[in-house]
Amino acid sequence: MSSKTIPQNHFAKSKVIGKATLKIGVAKGKSLVKRKFLSPSKKEQEKKENNEKIAEIIMEALGEIKGVSVKIAQQIGLNLTFLPQEFITKLEQSFNQIPPLNRAVVRKVIKSELNAYPHELFGSFDSEVFAAASLGQVHQATLDDVCVVVKIQYPGIEASIKNDMSVMRFVLQKATKSKEINHLVSEIADRLYEEIDYELESNNQSYFASHLQNPHIVIPKVYKKYSTSKVITTQKLNGLILKDFLATNPTQEERNHYANLLFQSFFDSLYHLHAIHADPNPGNYLFMESGKLGMIDFGCIKRVDEKFLRLYSKLHLALIERKDEAMIMEFYYQLGMIEKDEHKKMKEFYYKVLYPLDSLYIEPFVSGEFDFKKHHDFSKKGFEALMSIQKDNGYEMDKLNQEFIFLDRTLLGLYAIFEKLGAVVDTNYAIELMRREI
Amino acid sequence: MKVSKKTKQKTKIKLIESAVEVIIEKGYKSASMREIAKRAGVSDPTIYNYFPTKEQILYAYIELKHTEALKMLKEIEDFETYSLREQLQSLIEAELELYLADREFIQEIFDLAFYSSSVKLEELYHTKELFTDMIKEMFALSIEAGEIEPQPFEEFVPLLFWDYFIAVVAYWLKDDSQSFSNTTRFVDYSMEIIESVIKANLLSKISDFGLFLFKTHILSKISKFGMKPSKFDSVKRRFMEVLDE
Repeated sequence: MSSKTIPQNHFAKSKVIGKATLKIGVAKGKSLVKRKFLSPSKKEQEKKENNEKIAEIIMEALGEIKGVSVKIAQQIGLNLTFLPQEFITKLEQSFNQIPPLNRAVVRKVIKSELNAYPHELFGSFDSEVFAAASLGQVHQATLDDVCVVVKIQYPGIEASIKNDMSVMRFVLQKATKSKEINHLVSEIADRLYEEIDYELESNNQSYFASHLQNPHIVIPKVYKKYSTSKVITTQKLNGLILKDFLATNPTQEERNHYANLLFQSFFDSLYHLHAIHADPNPGNYLFMESGKLGMIDFGCIKRVDEKFLRLYSKLHLALIERKDEAMIMEFYYQLGMIEKDEHKKMKEFYYKVLYPLDSLYIEPFVSGEFDFKKHHDFSKKGFEALMSIQKDNGYEMDKLNQEFIFLDRTLLGLYAIFEKLGAVVDTNYAIELMRREI
Repeated sequence: MKVSKKTKQKTKIKLIESAVEVIIEKGYKSASMREIAKRAGVSDPTIYNYFPTKEQILYAYIELKHTEALKMLKEIEDFETYSLREQLQSLIEAELELYLADREFIQEIFDLAFYSSSVKLEELYHTKELFTDMIKEMFALSIEAGEIEPQPFEEFVPLLFWDYFIAVVAYWLKDDSQSFSNTTRFVDYSMEIIESVIKANLLSKISDFGLFLFKTHILSKISKFGMKPSKFDSVKRRFMEVLDE
């Protein structure tokens, strides 16, 4: 049962990196030699295979340092939008592989965080793991006969992040051509530190719960007295996850209802709270009784400022209303998506990189309603458009505005859920909010 | 006047607690029996009925903590469903939890045991009986439940574990991480190794000599984290070997 032991010290880790770097070097070298002899069409295939190989090597290295690295991998998938799809796929496979905490550790963490043992704090405490969570795990318990869930973090995670990030920085520098990797690595580290701060999460959750006013959205109550930066106790919601909900053969009306709820809550939080729940993993939504939708896990929140929001709205409205390209390019420039350059170059960049993206993104909004049953591969096309930019190597995608990319990715994640639901979504709702903002 | 057993036990605990306080304040050497007695509200001669020497109080302290740890483990509702590793790990965490309030005192005992001759390590080992009994019991339970194979060198395994525990305490005393999370990780990782050794029934595959090697091997691994064997020792040992020949 026991997994491979975890190389703890720095020396063991650097050996792991050394091995990985060497292999990447070999993989790249091989393909360089080969490529010269291949026709252009084969080149593409060859490059793809090579990327897969590199991703595999990185995964192997990550596998050996384990623990936090899995989380880092996940963050890379979310943040490094310019990475080839092959990397992301490999990285995503590694989700939820954090070694479980045994009961002795669970007791110890609760005792040192909440100053008492589980049985002293809770009416009942189920020592069996209920679910895996970001860098920890979830247990079921009761408080005054109310069912709650207690999320517990693996001890000493901060130190691991620090070590693993330096490993990642090195591997990424070797594996990608970009020299701009440092600020992205720092960005990922910041996200991770945010994500392991359960206090931040409980504040976010309370904030969303009290400000996101939709009678159909349920955000579980946080029990602050039973929460710290490493333990978070919240009300337990009863509901079905997407897969189980779909198995109940819901009516078209129900499907539409939930999709619209999700869509509305995204734009409501964006425009009223200036923050979004940026982890559109289907597991974070619970389909509850009487048309209610539960939202859980507020560990990944993206905040945006007013200035960005105004520009974002202006740009989207301009695109929807098909305004002229000079205006659109100006908005892109102000958003930091396009660099000020001579007009011809800017135009070229716009048409080659941004246009294919936004023409796609705008599609659901143009007619005010969008049928995701008909367009069941919309999110796939969206992600592909985002990734295809990488293939034109002339552009440095890592310079693009991160907020912008983040919002679009989250939205695409929601669209993927709508497609599974086969729902029709009223997108006018979002346009109204955009109009009010400018 | 006849003193009941219960009162006697109470006084004993009171004396131990006072000793901990006084030793933390003044250090082991400067703490006098007289002051310990005074702090506990006991007359000078009475303390000697309980503890003939100051050292005896230290041993009684360790014993008391073992008793308390046992009580803590018994309070865990579903302890019988715990795996052997979880039971062993819970015992370690329980002991450390109990030591927490008296950390400075534990540090003092450790220094005395390891760096001077005022407290004899062997004597300290005698207090471990309850501890090793608990370990024996956990192994017995695990074998009964079919979780692990009967272990050879049955007598040695609990002793080996006691050695390991001492190393954990040494590590814990040096740990400056928040809520001693590094110690928890150290215990978790090392227990993973111990668990796989037990599950693979590795002990049955090695001879007496192998066990000896195994023991020194584990201890030398652990020493990386805290206790460094002094170079002086190895010089002396060589000298003794020559004499033997």
